[in-house]
Amino acid sequence: MTFMPGDRRPQPDDPTLRRVVAELRRPVAFDPAIDAGALRVIGAGRRRATWARSRRWLGLAAALAASVVIAVGVYRTAPAGPRSRPVLLRLVAPASSAVVVVGDFNDWNPAANPLEQTGAGEWTIRLELRPGRYRYTFLVDGREWKSDPAEPPAPDDDYGAPLSVLTVS
Amino acid sequence: MRLRLSLALAALLLIGPARLAGQDRRVADRLDPITAGEVQRLVDSARVVGLPTEPLVQKALEGNTLGASGDRIRAVVAALYGQLSRARAALGGQASDAEVTAAAAAIRAGVPADTLQRLRALRSGRSLVVPISVLADLVAEGTPPDRAYQSVFDLARDGRSDDDFLALRRRSQVPSQRAGPDAGEPPAPRPAPDPPGKP
Repeated sequence: MTFMPGDRRPQPDDPTLRRVVAELRRPVAFDPAIDAGALRVIGAGRRRATWARSRRWLGLAAALAASVVIAVGVYRTAPAGPRSRPVLLRLVAPASSAVVVVGDFNDWNPAANPLEQTGAGEWTIRLELRPGRYRYTFLVDGREWKSDPAEPPAPDDDYGAPLSVLTVS
Repeated sequence: MRLRLSLALAALLLIGPARLAGQDRRVADRLDPITAGEVQRLVDSARVVGLPTEPLVQKALEGNTLGASGDRIRAVVAALYGQLSRARAALGGQASDAEVTAAAAAIRAGVPADTLQRLRALRSGRSLVVPISVLADLVAEGTPPDRAYQSVFDLARDGRSDDDFLALRRRSQVPSQRAGPDAGEPPAPRPAPDPPGKP
């Protein structure tokens, strides 16, 4: 220990110094209940801060999830409900080179469901349809509409082409 | 501030798909703008009031494929909207889209709404798609209405299956229709209109 001029040398028997040193060296004892309570308060504060930070992200995640659910529900092409059943459509058109079917089940899209030639002049296609009432017609060689003679004619041929009605149970 | 931003973003995420749901690309892609707009308006209205929308879309697409004019497509889809409305009113809010679609065809064929309601009562808890569709076919094919109603009511009262209703319709078909494809070519068809595309 170095003393500069003017410093007061410590006196070993200085009662004030002894008291201060004794007080500093005295072990501090807390009530364990107070320790636990303080830790709980500190922990709760931390949890609140963590929850406040994560709440924004949870909100966004929930909104995103709800959006995805809505989008899936809206855009799915096959609505939930009764199971589809196989349906065989057949047309006898011996002199034809191509036959397609258009109807309520394929957006009236001539490219969607071409029939296959499965016999002498026989054209067939197998579809999977849910229970319901479907209107449809065949397009032969890209220029001639033909109804299905095996099913009832559609009463509502609003556009002038011969249509058939298929009821799937 | 961040909370407001999060809420706004969440609202956009929720509303976005709902708004997109009102736009049917099939209609916009295949119909002329005026017809597509009118059909879309009817589809949106149908969605709001709980009517099936797919029959309206299909009716419009049918007109496009069969070469109908935009005016004709708009008139036909609007008429179908009215039939679907009457069908929904007759069957109630619990009826499925398929039931309402079949009922609209029956109303189009001339089946009264109270007949549909009676059928609903007789066949409570079971699907009405096939019975109503068969009823529509019978009436449309010229079966005397009272006889058609009574036949369908009898089957419904007895709790018969859908196949029994379809068998009733097959028995009622006129010979030329019952003959099937093996009997040969159908009667001479009308020529097809121009190839599908925008009118």
